[in-house]
Amino acid sequence: MGRKLKYLFFIGCGLSMLIGLFISHEHVHFWWEKIGVFDALFGFFGCIVIVLGSKALGHHGIQKDEDYYD
Amino acid sequence: MIDIVPPAFIFILGAILIPFLRERRLRQVFQLLIPLIAFIDLLYMHKGTYWVYNFLGYDLILGRVDKLSMVFGYVFVIVAFLGMVYALHVREVGQHVAAFLYIGSTLGVTFAGDIVTLFVFWEIMAVTSVFLIWYQRDKAALDAGFRYIMVHIFGGCALLAGIIIHVSNTGSTQFGFIEYGGLASQLILLGFIINAAVPPFHAWLSDSYPEATVTGSVFLTAFTTKSAVYVLLRTFPGVEILVWLGAIMALYGVVYAVLENDIRRLLAYHIISQVGYMVCGVGLGTEMAMNGATAHAFCHILYKALLFMGASAVIYVTGRRKLTELQGRNLYKKMPICLSLYMIGGFSISAVPLFNGFISKTMVVAATGELHRPIIHLLLHLASIGTFLHTGLKLPYGIWFGRVPEGETIEEEEIEAAEPPLNMLIAMGMTAFLCILTGVYPQILYNILPYPVHYHPYTVNHVIGMMQLLLLTAGAFWLYIDKLGGEPKVSVDTDWFYRKPGILILWFVSNPLQDLRLRLQRFFTKMVATITSLSKNPILLPEITARYFHLKIINRLYQASDTYKDKINEIKELESKLAAAKEMRYDENVYRRPIGLGVLIAIILLFLYGLIYFIRLG
Repeated sequence: MGRKLKYLFFIGCGLSMLIGLFISHEHVHFWWEKIGVFDALFGFFGCIVIVLGSKALGHHGIQKDEDYYD
Repeated sequence: MIDIVPPAFIFILGAILIPFLRERRLRQVFQLLIPLIAFIDLLYMHKGTYWVYNFLGYDLILGRVDKLSMVFGYVFVIVAFLGMVYALHVREVGQHVAAFLYIGSTLGVTFAGDIVTLFVFWEIMAVTSVFLIWYQRDKAALDAGFRYIMVHIFGGCALLAGIIIHVSNTGSTQFGFIEYGGLASQLILLGFIINAAVPPFHAWLSDSYPEATVTGSVFLTAFTTKSAVYVLLRTFPGVEILVWLGAIMALYGVVYAVLENDIRRLLAYHIISQVGYMVCGVGLGTEMAMNGATAHAFCHILYKALLFMGASAVIYVTGRRKLTELQGRNLYKKMPICLSLYMIGGFSISAVPLFNGFISKTMVVAATGELHRPIIHLLLHLASIGTFLHTGLKLPYGIWFGRVPEGETIEEEEIEAAEPPLNMLIAMGMTAFLCILTGVYPQILYNILPYPVHYHPYTVNHVIGMMQLLLLTAGAFWLYIDKLGGEPKVSVDTDWFYRKPGILILWFVSNPLQDLRLRLQRFFTKMVATITSLSKNPILLPEITARYFHLKIINRLYQASDTYKDKINEIKELESKLAAAKEMRYDENVYRRPIGLGVLIAIILLFLYGLIYFIRLG
């Protein structure tokens, strides 16, 4: 189950990026939309930025002990 | 033709009748019947203005029916039915009454044609919804409920002030487009965005929704914020500040969701994030953006209800609400149906193609493209990554599959978990069905949107782009899977500003202020006592005064000199004389005064009275 899911995931990633490179990007509004794999890169690095950024904010002030308001 | 009634009244009347239905089955049937009747009522409503009453010179309009109010009317009634199915097992009648009144007043807001009617239903909404929190009955819920109602009363006051200024400036109570600029519109906007949970006025939502009852939170997620989006669509389309507030809001919710440990609070932060898309759409103000905001509100109500149903069901069967309490329990083995239905909600909110979030969220994002707003476009894009990361991946993983971090052990006792009651599962199933239905056949929704739709969600570009975004987000999630588990912490949000200083204010009131009160009270009590004792014999007043000051002066003088000890007897004698004078009662046999004295005093008082009277007259 877990193994199959892993393969499926990698196939999905590869396939979507491959198709992204070969479809036309004519009617787009921003320059980056012409890059076929932009969404993939944005998703990957955006996710890392969100996780690390939020955790950094949390550990430097936002997060307090559970009885903070008691 | 059948005479139709305002849908708000159907629910409000239903709420009044519920307590009289003693038979449980009968009451359950009745509770399901009311939303159905309301839905049929909606089908019979046609464009136009109904139920206009004149009150104090203003026209109160209870039914302004057009495409915009109808979309919201439909989805509110649908989610009312679904929420009722979910809450059917609840035996406490009061919860149902509160829910019905809450739904009814939201429909009142939706169909209000004038700003006075709007305000009245707006306030009923705040007051009735708080009971869905208070019925949880623990201290956290009571406190959160009080904070909730305080914030909403503040918002209501801002709205009322704005309305009064607006009406006295323009002379019109019409509820429609308001030109932004000037105090009146700013106050009205403030009242609206407090209900829409726009930062920094959003903390009431993430503070109170997770404390509500298991079934009540499902209702709460649907009505307050979305009715606020509706009124924003009506009054403030194209206001630039809303574009930025919306985009920031979308990301703000995501950042806090990363840190959250409480499962319903995590989802609550995603309400804030999702409403951000709608607020942004309102701000953009084009037909496509407004359609997108409306469609997203419609879809959001359905999938968010489903997500809350799933999370609340877990709380209902396990009695635990934190990721750190649920990890390592392998709950997926015990509640697979609940998990699958939750995942449909998770995919919907993440805008996976074929689920309803995809057909609405991408519409708002596309509208930013049409207007060439690159920063807003990227901010919204980033927020959708965070949405999938948390509601689609982290939360279901944490609840149903979560592993215990290395080096930690879980408490030994096994959690008794099973699938939730049948009615809960049926409600989740129906909601999931609607999420997929609108996702697969977007035309159902697009046909009822306020403006004609020229947007096609299922193009190769859209689908492939979204698949790339989501799959690679999942990849990054995989890398950080161990970092993303819940931490037993609370996150400080803008509610800090009224919670922590609140404690300070309480201290100030109960210490220095209370002390001042006691001092003042003591002073006045003493004064009253003195006056009382002196008034026992007013005739001796001059004598007592003279003796009192005599004693004081002598005392002072002798204290300064060194012969104080010799004079002590003299002082004592003076003191006893003063005491004797004070003790002496009035005796008319001792004091004989001529009648003339009384007459003289009366004439003097009469003269003074006349003097004051004439001076005032002059």
